[in-house]
Amino acid sequence: MDMNEIKEIFFQECEEQLAELESGLLKLNDGDRDPETVNAVFRAVHSIKGGAGAFGLDDLVSFAHVFETTLDCVRSNKLEPSQDVLKVMLKSADILADLVTASRDGGSVEEGRSRGLVKELEALARGELPSGGAAPAEAPKPQPAKAAPAKAAAPAPAAPSDDSGFQPIPFTFEGFGEEEQTLEPSVFEVIFKPRRELYAKGNEAALLLRDLSRVGEMSINCDVDQLPAFDKMDPEAAYFSWTILVKTSKGEQDIRSVFEFAEWDCDLDVKVQESTAEELPMIPVPFDLSALDDEGAEEDNESSDDHSAMESAAAAAVAAAETASNVTRLAASRAEKKESQAAAAAAAAAANANANNSAGQTIRVDLDRVDRLINLVGELVINQAMLSQSVIENDNNGTSSINMGLEELQQLTREIQDSVMAIRAQPVKPVFQRMSRIVREVADMVGKSIRLVTEGENTEVDKTVIDKLAEPLTHMIRNAVDHGIESPEKREAAGKNPEGTVKLTAKHRSGRIVIELVDDGAGINRERVRQKAIDNDLIAADSNLTDEEIDNLIFMPGFSTADKISDISGRGVGMDVVKRSIQALGGRITISSRPGQGSTFTMSLPLTLAVLDGMVVTVAGQTLVVPLTAIVETLQPEASSIHSFGANQRLISIRNSFCPLVDVGRILNFRGTQANPVEGVALLVESEGGGQRALMVDAIQGQRQVVIKSLEANYTHVPGIAAATILGDGRVALILDVDAVVAASRGQSLRQDGVLKSDMSLAATG
Amino acid sequence: MKKKVLTVDDSRTIRNMLLVTLNNAGFETIQAEDGIEGLEVLEECNPDVIVTDINMPRLDGFGFIEGVRRNERYRAVPILVLTTESDAEKKNRARQAGATGWIVKPFDPAKLIDAIERVTA
Amino acid sequence: MASRKAQTESLTLVSVLDLNEASVLHGQLTNMRGTDLKIDASGVERVGVQCVQVLMAAASAWEQDKKEFVFEKVSDAFRKTMQLIGIDIEHLLAKEIRQ
Repeated sequence: MDMNEIKEIFFQECEEQLAELESGLLKLNDGDRDPETVNAVFRAVHSIKGGAGAFGLDDLVSFAHVFETTLDCVRSNKLEPSQDVLKVMLKSADILADLVTASRDGGSVEEGRSRGLVKELEALARGELPSGGAAPAEAPKPQPAKAAPAKAAAPAPAAPSDDSGFQPIPFTFEGFGEEEQTLEPSVFEVIFKPRRELYAKGNEAALLLRDLSRVGEMSINCDVDQLPAFDKMDPEAAYFSWTILVKTSKGEQDIRSVFEFAEWDCDLDVKVQESTAEELPMIPVPFDLSALDDEGAEEDNESSDDHSAMESAAAAAVAAAETASNVTRLAASRAEKKESQAAAAAAAAAANANANNSAGQTIRVDLDRVDRLINLVGELVINQAMLSQSVIENDNNGTSSINMGLEELQQLTREIQDSVMAIRAQPVKPVFQRMSRIVREVADMVGKSIRLVTEGENTEVDKTVIDKLAEPLTHMIRNAVDHGIESPEKREAAGKNPEGTVKLTAKHRSGRIVIELVDDGAGINRERVRQKAIDNDLIAADSNLTDEEIDNLIFMPGFSTADKISDISGRGVGMDVVKRSIQALGGRITISSRPGQGSTFTMSLPLTLAVLDGMVVTVAGQTLVVPLTAIVETLQPEASSIHSFGANQRLISIRNSFCPLVDVGRILNFRGTQANPVEGVALLVESEGGGQRALMVDAIQGQRQVVIKSLEANYTHVPGIAAATILGDGRVALILDVDAVVAASRGQSLRQDGVLKSDMSLAATG
Repeated sequence: MKKKVLTVDDSRTIRNMLLVTLNNAGFETIQAEDGIEGLEVLEECNPDVIVTDINMPRLDGFGFIEGVRRNERYRAVPILVLTTESDAEKKNRARQAGATGWIVKPFDPAKLIDAIERVTA
Repeated sequence: MASRKAQTESLTLVSVLDLNEASVLHGQLTNMRGTDLKIDASGVERVGVQCVQVLMAAASAWEQDKKEFVFEKVSDAFRKTMQLIGIDIEHLLAKEIRQ
């Protein structure tokens, strides 16, 4: 492991600490006064500062330092974490996050913003309340935020060090030895009287004398007069004291710094010896000290067998610690020990164990490794399906033991697949936490008071889904804050709490994750939406739409009800973009709204992007997979319901409305002639913009969960095709990109760089 | 025989830095994530020196140091406090709890090794 | 403890004579009071001042008792630490190992 890797770990850890920080601050905001919450918040900032210092990230260090100082005031009850105080803190947390990002990716944070907050934080630490209310008398002095470079060669201040802020106090002699080498050697007389505390705290006079002998030529006199009679002595008391003469060209500072750790626990007097007034018998100490260094490091071998066994377990753990999994191994070795001492385990130990377990043991694994595993399991699923199929084809005894074995294999494969998928599953918490910042910022900008309530943050979903969820969610949250929630005045006038609430929840429902965004705002203004849709030629002026249909108009491309385009809800892009990105994830989004009471957006997403529930269909002899999420219904067209118009456009009438027919075979260039709709099946799909289309295919083979194989990775991008999969019989089946095909049917031709031949074969996958 | 160092720190970043620094300097390193774990691991590893952080969950550095000093077997083990707190008050509390010495962060490998050398034979 | 009445006792010092060992050593020596004592310090790797205090107090006690208190063998580390902290043990060493 090198410094770059550790830096990587640092930034990962920063993310965690920032999340911890924010959730802690939000808890405080909700009135939580548990000291552990305050401590956790403090620790998060402290930890970021500590790591940042090690990497010389000075901007981060200085801001974290000011922040930490103010948090310390809260921790020590000098500052009441009122809502106003927390507002500043939450903003500071945002700046801290920005500084972390800037440190990682380069770039900078607008200096005015951080400087302004530094001032606010410092004012809080001084006891000045942000509202300008009466300040408490006590005013803890904030420390000046001085970023200390890691290798500061600043002269060491005399210990005991003064309270000089965040300045490292080097205790090495390097750095200023050089300047002082020109000094004339002088002789210092050192009088050193240890007290028993010195030894009790793990210091050792012999070691201090060893270090002193390195400062210069030394002679020593040990005063043993205080040593009592053998039977009256306390073996752990300090009786010996020393007078030492040190001839050195270094200064008094260098001598004192030897005793830096011990000076509170001894009497120490250092002065330049003017004359040889003392007549103590001095023993010169000229010898080389190597024997003490090396031999001293030897281990005592008195430990019991049991103990050394534990030692070796710990040693094994240390060896393993070279890799990132050190913590787990140690935990494991600890668990072993617990087992062996189970009988003696006291209640306290059990409590500790519980605390350990509740924290949950984790290991960090490179994502690549997990992906490789997922890929391999994908292969396994395909392989197993192929094996089953060939057995069925070659063996007509349905009850043979091979069949039973295969069934078990299938079961196992499924379980392995699920378990592997679960590795990639992560709680939506980080994304939800990001949203609370957005709510704060946008609410601030538009002068609204809004609280975000989150629920089900620990609901897990595949990491790729999480990564892609942030953008649409951000957009929706902004919309909810900007348009959904009314201004405080309007809310009060409507008899509502002036503070609006946005609720974000996640839950699992029948193999999918459902995310709901509920606001308690004014709800959809249906009259306005309808009018807007008519103005924009999205619907006919006389069309008869249900409330639900009107609500869903907001997902139409280009639709925006905001009278002015603000830079909050996006530059003119509307909910159609959100809908598209959700659909790209294989998800669906719907809205329901109650006037005056608010709106609810419901998103349903697959738990993973590695497998897909698809409908396997045949088009011109080719097997295609259509994502099930896109399909609304399937129907058998009758000749009477097919209507032609234009050169080669056809419509199908379904329950009194017309829906364009999309000839999949032609669009994908599987065949040159038009298919006869009556001989095939129509799949009614919902495409981007909410419009419905009927996809024409020749036949439906069935529904199946398929493993998604990237076409780009194995072949090349094919227009109209989202990905590929391998079926049980070993054939490659293409997964249809419904949106692209529908778009192509509108006349926007698929960008075809190579004509998709019907006999195309894919490079072997995997 | 390598000298054995027990480090106690809740920050993964600092733990890794300690590990790399100490291993490079030829020490055997055992790591714990907080004071409670530190006290548990102590019993197994019999360290020559302990390096501990102050601000930690569950059991902080002060509590951990007191715990070590109360332990019949390990009370004499030198303990270095590794912390960003340079102010006298924190140092004082650590000392009163029984710390042997301290290393002021930002983390500097040379300072760390030097301090360890100072308190170990 | 049967050896308590023996005329000559021998004591082998452990490798690490630290704070914890001071009381142990004090106890061992207390039990050996009144005998001639030969000490083997050849295995000592580390010796702290508190154990030296115990040893030196014992040396005077043995002297008062007019009993022998001799270091038969000493390790380099033991000898050097004594020198470092300014304790002269030359007169307590067995003749063969004096320098």
